[in-house]
Amino acid sequence: VTATRRVSLALLLAALPCALGAQGYRVRLDTRIQAVGFRGVRIDSIPVSDTVTGPGGGPTTSDGFAVYCPSGAPYCTYFRPGPVRRGGPVVMTGDLTVWGFGLRGVSAHATARAGLDLGNVDAWPGTDPALQLLAGYVEYAAERVTARAGRQLTLSRLGATGFDGASLTVRDARRGLEATGYVGWGLARAVALPVTSPALDPLDDFQPRQRQLVAGIGAGWTAAVADLRADYQREVDPRSDYFVSERVGLSGAVRPAPGWSVTGGADYDMAAGWWGSAEVSLGYARRAVSGSVGARRYRPHFELWTIWGAFSPVPYHATQAQLAVRAIAQVQLRARGEWYRFENSETATPLVDVLRSGWRGEIGFTAWPAAGWTLDGGYEREYGPGAASAGASGSVTYAPAGTWRVMVHGATLDRPLEFRYAESVLQVYGVEGEAEPRERLRVSVGATRYVEDHRRPDAAAFDWGQWRLTLRATLLFGHGDELGGLPPAVRRMPGGRAAR
Amino acid sequence: VTARPLVVLALGTLLSASRLTAQDRGGGFDHEKHRALFPTCASCHVGAVQGGASLWPEPVGCAACHDGTIEKVVSWSPPQAPRRSNLRFDHLRHAVSARAKAPVCAACHAEAGAPRMAVRPAAPERCLDCHGIRTAHLAAPDSACAQCHVALAQATRLTRQDVAAFTAPPSHADPRFAGADGHGAVARRAVGGSCATCHAREFCYQCHAGASPPRAISALASDPRSTAIAARGAPASHGGNFADRHGSAAAAAGSRCAGCHVRTECVDCHRPVAAAGPGYHPTGFLNRHPAATYARETSCSDCHNVSSFCTACHSQAGLVANGVLRSGFHDAKRFFLLGHGQAARQSLESCVACHTERDCLTCHSALGGRRFNPHGPGFDANRMRRKNPEVCTACHGMAIPIR
Repeated sequence: VTATRRVSLALLLAALPCALGAQGYRVRLDTRIQAVGFRGVRIDSIPVSDTVTGPGGGPTTSDGFAVYCPSGAPYCTYFRPGPVRRGGPVVMTGDLTVWGFGLRGVSAHATARAGLDLGNVDAWPGTDPALQLLAGYVEYAAERVTARAGRQLTLSRLGATGFDGASLTVRDARRGLEATGYVGWGLARAVALPVTSPALDPLDDFQPRQRQLVAGIGAGWTAAVADLRADYQREVDPRSDYFVSERVGLSGAVRPAPGWSVTGGADYDMAAGWWGSAEVSLGYARRAVSGSVGARRYRPHFELWTIWGAFSPVPYHATQAQLAVRAIAQVQLRARGEWYRFENSETATPLVDVLRSGWRGEIGFTAWPAAGWTLDGGYEREYGPGAASAGASGSVTYAPAGTWRVMVHGATLDRPLEFRYAESVLQVYGVEGEAEPRERLRVSVGATRYVEDHRRPDAAAFDWGQWRLTLRATLLFGHGDELGGLPPAVRRMPGGRAAR
Repeated sequence: VTARPLVVLALGTLLSASRLTAQDRGGGFDHEKHRALFPTCASCHVGAVQGGASLWPEPVGCAACHDGTIEKVVSWSPPQAPRRSNLRFDHLRHAVSARAKAPVCAACHAEAGAPRMAVRPAAPERCLDCHGIRTAHLAAPDSACAQCHVALAQATRLTRQDVAAFTAPPSHADPRFAGADGHGAVARRAVGGSCATCHAREFCYQCHAGASPPRAISALASDPRSTAIAARGAPASHGGNFADRHGSAAAAAGSRCAGCHVRTECVDCHRPVAAAGPGYHPTGFLNRHPAATYARETSCSDCHNVSSFCTACHSQAGLVANGVLRSGFHDAKRFFLLGHGQAARQSLESCVACHTERDCLTCHSALGGRRFNPHGPGFDANRMRRKNPEVCTACHGMAIPIR
């Protein structure tokens, strides 16, 4: 942590005088507030002698909770409805880009996030610690070279790897060649915190005492008909010099004809000695029709400072297909499906029968009946090991101008679990609104009502209805040549399942 | 009584609309009907041939006949402002510069062979004919736009609605046009010249919001009206459900993504905000997530840290085991604890969201417990010992077996 602070402080101090004299800067402030709630369970126990026989013939408490009585134990355990937890996470993300330091191609970037939870203590994950630096680096970008120093995120087949260090990319644009190398002190997976952060150890389990060193190289070739790339990455525990992870990944995309593409990739875990996830997909996309068929395999990756890899997680293999057809200009129909099956786990479980395969699918439509109106509806169902779900959803959006829109939506969901009696039935309905009251400012609000019923054959069934409120404001301001409006790509990418 | 104002309003709206339509066609003036009265076009449209004069006739000229006695009174007044347009055309200047080649009025304002004063609005095809451009209007080469049109930034009379109504050239419909080899190549070749007819810098920034803008964008003028044209949607290559499938394509050539997307977008999903409402996941996903996570519809760990995200929340909901293994939580399977092996190997990431290493070591340790061997298919003991023997010591202590 100390090293991170020193690096951050040094970067800040280095950038400050330059920033004052810089010719351009852009700031994006994104503030989100959400009021949410949930209700879990709380373990309780009762002496065996106090149990009664329930309607189903099994032991229950006198007030109807089914209990579990381990053989020979004097007590039985059961789960009561837990306390209502209310969370009010408030998070502001600031994104700063500064350029124009006198040397063309030099810029400084920083993305930081400040958050707090207005609700019960720690009711909602992700607001601890209160201040997080997601990225903060100085960059030099020229036609053939890009160099970065500071906290950064490198995105590759092997995931989004965060580290405090340096990276260098060299390229030959004419030949479409590019090579990247990076080295630094690593951050924990999928979070902007070092692995030593207390926030990553909520259950007081084993935790590494020192941050890992991460290094990687990658090389790619990009052309009109194909893209190919290979990446290698290793993480090392500096205390012992042992590997934390060592992986290699291959990715490719081929475009044999207009509209057609074949994409795929695979990663190999050199530390565990097995193939991780892989996929290949044949896609066709034109204005009226787009679709893909493919196969994929998924196996989770665990670092070597946990014991999970030694438990031999098995991968599943899946085949999938999806199709979207816009037969007439006003309506698009879509369907997708996937079937998967786990590899043999080589476990003998005569007392417990567990599903080994499953499937998931969706059909839906999007219609634009009149200018400004969008209707969307779909039915989604999945059935597999652990849990299943089935539900329909729909929305009506009215956006008469590019500057505001309002949407009402509703959904219903049935969610049985395989390993626990709980067939939660959920109904959702709500309204969302978004407006750009002036250029570079976007405000959105939403209110959603959740009506949830935990259907169980005992008293542990409980209803939990709640309202969830969201408020978001995004402001962009700055000065200089690069300043533009809010990019619609920003709006598109996290646009929800229906929007995809 | 209540309905009357509405009817009046509706009729008024209809009349206004029809009136506007008529004005668009030339004020509703029937040129052909009046052909006997006017020997030349310039007798009314003096401004077409004389500098400083109005292009429109004086209403008093109409009233000479339309006085209510000879003919019925008409109400017409010339437009108060020049037409909203991005044409660089000026009748007088065009006539001067074309000199002997200057066309007569009918060459543009009448069909070939049409009777005298069968006037119609000038069609762009006539401009193309004279200027030697043998294509349809919008298919004209990039270098031709500026011949007749001023840049959008100079067409100050156009409103956002006018800009939004621009028709896209057929070249833009090509799926490849969205890429660097499409519009990027055009823009580099023309350095924004032809693009500037319809676009300005802000239009480009709708997508190119990343690092230093290409030179062609810098060369464009600034004009906020340009965002009235919505930048293209997702490229055809994206197809449906692309957010779930973009990994391979993005990993193969991330530089292609950078043409439209900025790094902040990646961070929005890959480092999600605690207070984010529905985004990548649909509304209500929190309640559906067990089904999606048991069999990993997508890789949750790419964006969510299991410890800080999953375990922290499950802990608040009372869903973590925390050393209490025989609680009967998995009550749909009576002997789940004895037969959990298959479920664990299939969905280990889900187990980890509620269980600690200590929970599993209670039974799966060579140092104590029940000494159940957790190693399964694909386990390479020698490799793991070579890469990191410290993992082995968690169960085996210093006596790591050699296979």
